[in-house]
Amino acid sequence: MKNGEIKIEGIKEETTEESNTDGIDMNPHAQVCLQHLLRVWLGFERDLSKVPLLRRIDLGTYTAEDHQVFLRNLRQQVIEGSRWITRTASSFDRNHAEIRSTVIGHAVDEHRDYEMLEKDYVASGGKLEDILDMEKNIGSEALHGFLMYRASRSNPIDLLGAMWIIEGLGEKMASSWAERIQEITGLTANSTRFMTYHGHHDGEHMQEFYRTLNSVCIDEQASASIVKTAKVVARLYRLQLEEVEYDVQ
Amino acid sequence: MTVYITSTGSFLPGPTISVDQVENILGAVNGKPSSLRVQIQKANKIQTRHYAIDEHQQTTHSNTEMATNAAVECLDRAFIPRERVGMLAVASTQGDLPAPGMASMVQAELELPEIEILTTHGICSSSIMALKAAWNSLRLEEHEAALVISSELASRLLKKQRYEAATTSTFAAKRIDFSTEFLRWMLSDGAGALLLQNKPAPKGLSLRIDWIRGFSHAHALPICMSVGSAGRPDDTRTWQDYDTYAQAEQDGALLLRQDVRLLDNLMRMGVDGYLRLVDEGVSNPSEVDHFLCHYSSHHFRNKILEMLDTAGVGIPEERWWTNLYTRGNTGSASLFIMLDEFLRTDEVSVKVGDKVLCFVPESGRFNTTYLQLTVVSK
Repeated sequence: MKNGEIKIEGIKEETTEESNTDGIDMNPHAQVCLQHLLRVWLGFERDLSKVPLLRRIDLGTYTAEDHQVFLRNLRQQVIEGSRWITRTASSFDRNHAEIRSTVIGHAVDEHRDYEMLEKDYVASGGKLEDILDMEKNIGSEALHGFLMYRASRSNPIDLLGAMWIIEGLGEKMASSWAERIQEITGLTANSTRFMTYHGHHDGEHMQEFYRTLNSVCIDEQASASIVKTAKVVARLYRLQLEEVEYDVQ
Repeated sequence: MTVYITSTGSFLPGPTISVDQVENILGAVNGKPSSLRVQIQKANKIQTRHYAIDEHQQTTHSNTEMATNAAVECLDRAFIPRERVGMLAVASTQGDLPAPGMASMVQAELELPEIEILTTHGICSSSIMALKAAWNSLRLEEHEAALVISSELASRLLKKQRYEAATTSTFAAKRIDFSTEFLRWMLSDGAGALLLQNKPAPKGLSLRIDWIRGFSHAHALPICMSVGSAGRPDDTRTWQDYDTYAQAEQDGALLLRQDVRLLDNLMRMGVDGYLRLVDEGVSNPSEVDHFLCHYSSHHFRNKILEMLDTAGVGIPEERWWTNLYTRGNTGSASLFIMLDEFLRTDEVSVKVGDKVLCFVPESGRFNTTYLQLTVVSK
């Protein structure tokens, strides 16, 4: 209930974090960049509906076993995520101290998130050793390879595009998937803590994101590189979810 | 060839029905008042609507009759004789007959001789499909005038007997079956008509059609609003696959359903399409004087506003205009009924040169359509 209005079942209230640029007067390049990023995101989100594993969340046929598959395949990316973020931080020179601080803060926040994901896996009925033994799937290899390559270049501001996609997904996990997964699989909230926590956390990151975008996206070239990287990451992230390994290794 | 909307008409059947009277018309299923009605009505904020059925759920106007009535009003206001109309395009979610097409039936009622006809089939966006085809036909100079009509008679799908007959359906099995009941308290009946011509009307205001665009996302997203299946994920049968239609009805395959969980996709795809049009230079939000958006429920208005603002392509709320709250959600007919009142209402000042952006999203399988009109006078 909000302002006396009754919430319609199944329709989540928009969390304001993602969509609120209030108080940030975006420069014209950042504004156009944000419009393009939004389109990349919306296309990514739509195309995720085509991924067989995720389509079952929409259709209500996703099972506890699917959830284990999901977590097993997600873990490597979460582990590697903290690595490309710290690499990104170290690639910024002193003229980019502001964004470097932001990225470092981000890395500190998330570098052990995979441990939460492992606990979720066990709570979903999986064996700890199975998830610990998992290697990166084909898509995770491609995604991680690309991110480390971009992060190793000097002043990689284009990786804001990568953060846009990955943070957005965290938000989506929390707002659209976590509860729905519990509802259709009968699993408890203990199995979706990573999704829920990660989403709430990413909400705070969005304000930071808008400020950072505004400060570094100051010409067309910067805007184009951020959007391009967002597109590549969106495609490779989807590849990672399409290439899920169903069997334990 | 530039094309203009030179006349409009609409028809809303029967008396105005208030929120509290809705269940008297549609009927209480098995004599029990709905536990969801008030909640859904509060969210959609529709105050009054019209039905082409009476309190005994008997049809008072056929869909063809409503379409015809709207067309007659439109033609009566036109400055050309109906003989000059070369094309008739009719849109509806479900005509009175599954076959032939509804345009044939409406043509017969209107007694328009040897006219080119088109029936479009879909849900809310079918009216825009019909409008676009008629617009193109005039642009190709095949006709000098075309009549475009959209009419909806949803209440026949929503009356209590439909639900009472579905004894083995998800609706009967669940205590609350939100997806099956949701649209019952959303949709109502009505028709709208537009006359398209290759020149503006000699008097009064006309609307020049600047562009019409649509983007469908059915390739990626599941069905969101439908009739024809039992609404169980693992059951792929459609209504025609049952041995008898009676079995299909019993199983709930003829009930209208909306998967509300998927509805957020519609807002997202709607904003995506608009961003695309802005990016292509087709639309400029700062030049839009009036925004006529077909949203099914007040609930979604704020979501659209919020997303457009985030993207920096927001259209100030004072430029939005709708008659959803008083005329109801009449599906594909909504925009035509809205345009008809928009040109006549005192609520908004419409001046020559004003740009009118219209947006009609269809949740069925996510089709989003847009058009821009410019107010002109001869």
